[in-house]
Amino acid sequence: MNKHRNIFLQYFIFIVFISLFGILINNLAINLIRTGIGINFSWLLKPASFALAEYPLPYSASDTYAWALFIGWLNSLKVIFISLILSTFIGTLIGFARTSTHSLIGLIAAGYITIIRQTPLLLQLMFWYFVGFLGLKDNILIHIENIFKVSNQGIELYGLSFSSEFSALLFGLSIFTSAYIAEVIRGGILSVSRGQWEAFRSLGLSEIKGLISIIIPQALPAIIPGLTSQYLNLAKNSTLAIAVGYSDIYSINDTIINQTGRAIECFIILLTSFLFFNLIISNSMEIVNKIIVSSKKYN
Amino acid sequence: MKPVLIAKNLIKSYTKGSRALDNVSLELNQGRVLVVMGPSGSGKSTLIRTFNGLENFDKGELNVLGIKIDSTHDEQKIQRIRKRVGMVFQQFNLFPHLSILENITLAPIHVQKRRKIDAEEYGMYLLNQMGIDSHARKYPSQLSGGEQQRVAIARALALKPELLLFDEPTSALDPERINEVLDAMRRLAEQGMTMVVVTHEIGFAKEVSDQVLFMDSGKVIETSTPDIFFSNAKHERSRKFLNQLDKY
Amino acid sequence: MFNINSDSINTLFQKVRKLLFSNLFNTVLSLVILLIISLVFFNIYKWFSLNSSWEVVTTNLPLYAFGSFPTDQQWRPATWMICLLFISLLTLFGPKWKWLRKNLLLAWIITIPLGLYLLYGGFGLSPIMSRQWGGLTLTLLLTIFSALLSLPLGIILALCRQSSLPLIQKSSSIYIDVMRAIPLISVLFFGQLLIPLFLPVGIEIDRVWRAIFAFTLFLSAYIAEDLRGGLQSIPNTQIESANSLGLNQVQIIRFILVPQALRIALPSLTNQAIGLFQNTSLMAILGLVELLGVGRSILANPEFIGQYIEVYVWLASVYWMVCTIMAVLARHLEQRMTINKTNFQKL
Repeated sequence: MNKHRNIFLQYFIFIVFISLFGILINNLAINLIRTGIGINFSWLLKPASFALAEYPLPYSASDTYAWALFIGWLNSLKVIFISLILSTFIGTLIGFARTSTHSLIGLIAAGYITIIRQTPLLLQLMFWYFVGFLGLKDNILIHIENIFKVSNQGIELYGLSFSSEFSALLFGLSIFTSAYIAEVIRGGILSVSRGQWEAFRSLGLSEIKGLISIIIPQALPAIIPGLTSQYLNLAKNSTLAIAVGYSDIYSINDTIINQTGRAIECFIILLTSFLFFNLIISNSMEIVNKIIVSSKKYN
Repeated sequence: MKPVLIAKNLIKSYTKGSRALDNVSLELNQGRVLVVMGPSGSGKSTLIRTFNGLENFDKGELNVLGIKIDSTHDEQKIQRIRKRVGMVFQQFNLFPHLSILENITLAPIHVQKRRKIDAEEYGMYLLNQMGIDSHARKYPSQLSGGEQQRVAIARALALKPELLLFDEPTSALDPERINEVLDAMRRLAEQGMTMVVVTHEIGFAKEVSDQVLFMDSGKVIETSTPDIFFSNAKHERSRKFLNQLDKY
Repeated sequence: MFNINSDSINTLFQKVRKLLFSNLFNTVLSLVILLIISLVFFNIYKWFSLNSSWEVVTTNLPLYAFGSFPTDQQWRPATWMICLLFISLLTLFGPKWKWLRKNLLLAWIITIPLGLYLLYGGFGLSPIMSRQWGGLTLTLLLTIFSALLSLPLGIILALCRQSSLPLIQKSSSIYIDVMRAIPLISVLFFGQLLIPLFLPVGIEIDRVWRAIFAFTLFLSAYIAEDLRGGLQSIPNTQIESANSLGLNQVQIIRFILVPQALRIALPSLTNQAIGLFQNTSLMAILGLVELLGVGRSILANPEFIGQYIEVYVWLASVYWMVCTIMAVLARHLEQRMTINKTNFQKL
C-alpha cells in the first residue's frame, strides 16, 4: 500500500476518534450546564448526615462526607484482606484435593468448583446472607462459650465480633474466590512435569513430603500470576457488599450519589480508590514473587 | 536473455558495525537457477530476503523484474515486486487457520482480484502438480513437513510469479522427506522457472543450478558454474566449506 | 455401549476397589467420606421431601422465564428461546452436513434481529416496552447483545493498542487498563447515570440498552486484553509470508492476524462469555428484573416470604444449567477452531 495513503488513513481514523470523543465531551458539558450540576469537590467537607452500621474508626452522622468515604474505604480494605487470606487457604485445600489421587476427594473438589464457578456471585452472597445468617433458626448455629459463636447477629471470635453483613460477604467472597484459586493451584501443580513426581517417589519420599519440598516450589512461579489476578478480582467483587448492606467504599458512594447527585465526582473517587487497591495488591504480589524467585534459584 | 534480477553493491550493516551484506553484486537471467551457499550467519538469508523487500539495505541498488529499488525502501514498488515474486520459507509459514486450498487462493483472490472459482481451479491444478491434491480440504497441521512445504511452493506459484525465492526450503524437513520437495523444485526448473535457492543440498545444486554463489561474512567469495565450484573451487574458503559439508 | 455382562461388572468392581480401597488409609478415608456424603444427601432428601415447598417455583415459572411480559404475548420470547436452544442442540449434536454447518453461523446471526422483533413487536405484532421485559429472556438478551457488541469493539481496541501512532496506542491502553481496574457494578451503575449525560439533548435510551452499553464498554476492555495476548503469540513469520504474497496491511490484519488471534484467545473469550452471563445478575440490584431480579421480587411477595432456599436453589440450578450448556458449546467450538503453538511449525 502507498505509504502516504497509509499515513493519511491512520490520521483519518485518528481524527474520527478525536471528533467522536469531542462530541461526547461536548454533550457532557451541555448536559452538565443544562442540569446545573457542574463538577466540584467542595461538598466533601459538608456533614454526611447518614448513619453507618459499621465503622472501625469513630463515626457519626455529623462527620463529613470525606470521613464517611474514608470509613467505607477502611471497611473495604478489611473485607478484602481477610477474605484474601481465607480464600487462599480454602482454595489451596480444594486445589490439592482436586489433584488428589484419591478419586472420591477429587470428585468432591470438582463438584465444589463447578457449583461455585457456574453460579453468579451475587446469588451466592444473597444465599449466605439471607439463608446462611439471617435465616438461622433459633438464631444460633454454633456456640462455644467465650470462644466462637455463629448466630444471626454474625460471628463472635474471642470477643471480636463481626456483623452478619460482614460475615456473609466474607464467606461468599472467600468461597467464590477459593474455587478460582483452586483451579490456579491445580494448573500450577499440573505444570510440574510428571518426571518430577516419579523422581521423588523413586527417592523414597512420601507423597506429602514430596509435594511440599519438590512439587510446590516448582509450581509457585506458575501459580503467582494467576493468584494475583484472582486477588484483583476479589477486590473488585467486594463491591457487591451493597447487596448484603455492608458499608464498603462503593455502597457509601452509592448513598452519597443518591443524596447529592454528585455522580461524576464519586466516579472519580471510586476509580482512584480501586487504582490504589490494585496497586497495593499487585505490588505486594510482585514482592512475594521476587522473594520466591530469589530464594529458589534452581536451574 | 534478459536479466530478471540485478543487484549492485548491496550493503547492509548491523548496529554493531558488522556487515550482513558487504558489497554484494549479482545478476540472474531469465530461466536460470542460482544456488546460494555459505555457512550459517554468512548473510545468504538476508540477501534473498532483500529481493522481495522483507529486509532493507543501506546502500546499493536492486533491480527486480525491471523495478528498481534502493535504500529508501519504497513500499509501493516493493508491493509491485511482491506481486510478481514468490517466496518459500524454511519453516513453510502456512496459515494454520486456513485450509490448504484457502492458503493457496488467499493471495490470488485478494491481491490479484481473481474470481474465487478461477483461483480455486488453478489452485487445484497446482496441488495436482505437487501431488497433494487429495489434501486440499485439510489444514496445515494435518500434513507432514514435506507436504506442507509443497503446499508452500504451490502457494507461491499461485500468483504466477516470474521469479521464485527459496530460503533453505529443506532444512526443516526430516531427511526422508527432503527428496519429495527437491523433486518438485527440479520439475519447476525444467519448466523454465527462474529461481534463487538458498540451500545446503549439494546434489540439487550440482544437478539443477546454472550458477553457484558462495558467501561468507556478508561477502560474495566466488560465483562459478556448479561443475567448477564442486570439483575445483577457486577459493580456499569455498573448499573448506565443501569439505565440512561432505562430513555430514 | 451399555451392554452389561458379568465381565464388565467384574472389571468395574476391581476398578472401584483399586481406586477407593487400595490400602488401609484409603479405605478408612473412603468410608468416612462416603459416610459424610450419605449424611448430607440424607439431610437434603429429608429437607426436600418434608420441609421444602416448591410452589414458589412452580406457580411462578412464567415469571422466571418472561418477567412481566404480557401473558397473551409470552409465546414471543418463548419462540425466541426455543430457537436458541434448538440451534445450540443442532450445533452440538446435529449431523455434520456441509450445507448445514455453513448455514449455522447465519442461523446464529439471525437469532439477533429475530429476538429484537419478537420482543419489541411492530410489523404486525403488538409493541411491548422494554421495561416489561424480564426473567431469563432478559438475562439471555443482555448476554447475547453485550457479547456481540463488545467483540468488534474489543478487536478494534486490541488493534489500536498495537498501533504505531503513539496517541492512539496510549489512549486505548489507558482505556483498557482503567476499565479493567474498576468493578463491574460501578460501571453498570454509572452507566445508568452517566450514559444519558454523554448523549445529545433529546435522545434517550432505555435502561436495558444503557445496561447493554455499559456491559459492552466493560467487556470490550477484557476482550481486547485477551486478544492482545493472541496477537502477540502469532509469530512474525506469519506476517512475513503474508507480506511476500503481496497482501497489504489491512488485508493482513483482516485475513491473518484477527482470525488467528480470535482462535488463540477462544478459551479465554468463552470464559468471558460465561462470566458475562453470570454478571448480568448484577442488574437485579440496579433496577432490571432479570432472572435474579424476578427471584428478588417473588421473595418480596408476602405470599412467598422466607422461602429463600427454594428460590435460590432453583435460580442457582438454572444459572448452572445455562453456564454448563455454554461451556459445552464452547469446548465444542474450541476443539474445531483452536490453534495453539503446535500448529506453527517449529524445529
